[in-house]
Amino acid sequence: MNAIPLVLYAAAAIVYAVHFAKRQPAIGRMATTLLLLAVLSHTFVIGMQTMEVRHVPFASRSHAISTFVWLLALSYIYLEVTTDERAMGVFILPIAVGLQMIPAFSPGIENADPVLDSPWFWVHLLSLMFSYATFALAGMLGLTYMLQFKEIKKKHLGYFYARLPSLHVLDAMNSRAVIVGWLFLTIGVVVGVVWTAQARALAPGNSNLQAMSLNDPKILIALLTWAVYAFEVFARSTMGWTGRRAAWLSAVGFVIVLLNFLPVSYFVTTSHTFQ
Amino acid sequence: MHLLLLGVSHKTAPVDVRERLDFSSRDLGAAVEALATRASSAESVVLSTCNRSEVYVASDNPARARDEIIEFLSQYHSLSPDSFTPHLFSLSDEDAAKHLFRVAAGLDSLVVGEPQILGQVKGAFETAAGRRCTGPMLSKLFHWSFGVGKRVRTETALGEGAVSISFAAVALARKIFGRLDGRRVLVIGAGEISSLTAEHLRAQGVGEIAIASRTAAHAEALAASVGGRAAPWEEVPSLLATADIVVTATGSQRPILSRAHVEATTARHRPDPLFIIDLAVPRDVEASVGDIEQVFLYNVDDLQSIVQENLSRRSREIAHAETIVAEELLKFATWQRSRGAVPTVVALRQRFEAIRRAELQRLDNKLVGLPPEARARVDEVTRLIVEKLLLDPTEQLKALPDEETQVAYTEAVNRLFRLRTGESSSSSTDAAADRADADRQK
Repeated sequence: MNAIPLVLYAAAAIVYAVHFAKRQPAIGRMATTLLLLAVLSHTFVIGMQTMEVRHVPFASRSHAISTFVWLLALSYIYLEVTTDERAMGVFILPIAVGLQMIPAFSPGIENADPVLDSPWFWVHLLSLMFSYATFALAGMLGLTYMLQFKEIKKKHLGYFYARLPSLHVLDAMNSRAVIVGWLFLTIGVVVGVVWTAQARALAPGNSNLQAMSLNDPKILIALLTWAVYAFEVFARSTMGWTGRRAAWLSAVGFVIVLLNFLPVSYFVTTSHTFQ
Repeated sequence: MHLLLLGVSHKTAPVDVRERLDFSSRDLGAAVEALATRASSAESVVLSTCNRSEVYVASDNPARARDEIIEFLSQYHSLSPDSFTPHLFSLSDEDAAKHLFRVAAGLDSLVVGEPQILGQVKGAFETAAGRRCTGPMLSKLFHWSFGVGKRVRTETALGEGAVSISFAAVALARKIFGRLDGRRVLVIGAGEISSLTAEHLRAQGVGEIAIASRTAAHAEALAASVGGRAAPWEEVPSLLATADIVVTATGSQRPILSRAHVEATTARHRPDPLFIIDLAVPRDVEASVGDIEQVFLYNVDDLQSIVQENLSRRSREIAHAETIVAEELLKFATWQRSRGAVPTVVALRQRFEAIRRAELQRLDNKLVGLPPEARARVDEVTRLIVEKLLLDPTEQLKALPDEETQVAYTEAVNRLFRLRTGESSSSSTDAAADRADADRQK
């Protein structure tokens, strides 16, 4: 069922790329329309799964990734609508397409541990998912900032110069994305800790819950992520780390997030396996 | 009805001839009106910019119209015809239309792709239309040319990229800062090039423009002309610390801003980078200043090479724009040819209508017994039948692919229905055809 959004995301990605190359407003509107259709169909898919299992699908990796892609697309649409800038689509959509392939080609079975059925857990999960989506945006904004910066600095005004938004706009968007993401990351981590303590009391024998500690790479890397973004927020306001430095941090931060989200979740973690 | 264009442009006439034939400094509306009083020009538009003065007319007698325009130009500008006729170019019908399309697209401009010309073409047409000097022919032609200009602007990169140093600097500033509202500008050295750049920045809505010059009087003069503030030379370091954009253009033989100077101001927190535009030769800013992380340093050569690149990119777009002009010209020519069928169409309709009326007249004594509603219905039904019969022939006649076929078809129709059409399409039959068209579309 995840194949329909995948096809629409892929179509949108292609049209965003054409729009980026040709810069014609009509093509840009077509790209946005396709993306809206993709999100709509994706919402429908996730809605169906939610009704079926009575919670937002997350327990299999595939479902978690699908939900993440959905949040990423929503966050991007928000960015596009509020800034009236379509140039970023060509950088964001490939991430959505790449990740959406996983649920489309290997649909998981949603069989969540009953211990997870707690409102705290949902706050924890959705906060973190949303923060990762905004970090994805920030990472791509950072990347494009560096591309634009390099062309202006080297006095070689080429392909990207003509197409990307101004440095100021990229920096401002990046800053906003990082602050929002960091706030939700903080909420997600704190709520996770609180919920673990409660859940341990309720289900003492649960091996997942027992494994929740800094020894688990997933948790350790999540805290590292938190530290990187905390530093970015702090350094921007007090040390003048704006522009290129902030762009770098955002890109590096997102690489860590992606590592944690995919390989670490699949192969390494002992605590965050929910079925 | 024929199109005729007479004019001078930067391609055909030296500047002193263009100056003498310039209309823009005088009342253009009055000039068009004066031209319209001449007998042979049914419609007229005068386009006058600093690079061209062109007279467009629609006339049934182009040869006479040509002489009258020359006479008009000579009288209006008080010149002897010999002084300008050698520089005059003259185009008719499709060539004239093509020329206007190229002008509106910016292809005939001194700087290819410059954006002002389309507005000037619109202005010229509106002035003439406002004085009721235009008619169906020029109205269609000019509106078509606006469409061509718009297509070229949206579908090609002909007008893209700054083609002057000061515009290139402003375009760069916009890529660094986004909107320039409220940005602080420091101008060091009050020369002509710095004043041009300051004016462009002002037009983008920058905040304070501080101007420092070793000669206070120069700074004050420039400050007055661009709406800035003259600052004493000693304030330069502190202004440097708060400026977003610095423009230097002093006559100094040695750099006035060293790396140490600039580093002292960038060491503090800057929310955005510092953009330094060094317009001076020899340079005012040490080259190593450009190595500072938050500084973008551009000198005259850098900007000049951007301008060159933009110019060559524009010239690569010319072929694309010419294709658009050719496409539109083809469509326009088809439309124009459809006008050639108008007299035949009008005559055909008149003939059918006459037959209808004659038959109703003949049957009058049989219809007289009917109630008024039924008589009205009979009238209505017969009219509709005639309309239906004429619908396809009218459309076919107007859509014939070339002039030869059109002559053959109209000849055939004239014979088949024993029509007697006028030799030329006078404007009154044109208007009748337009009315008939409008009726048909209802």
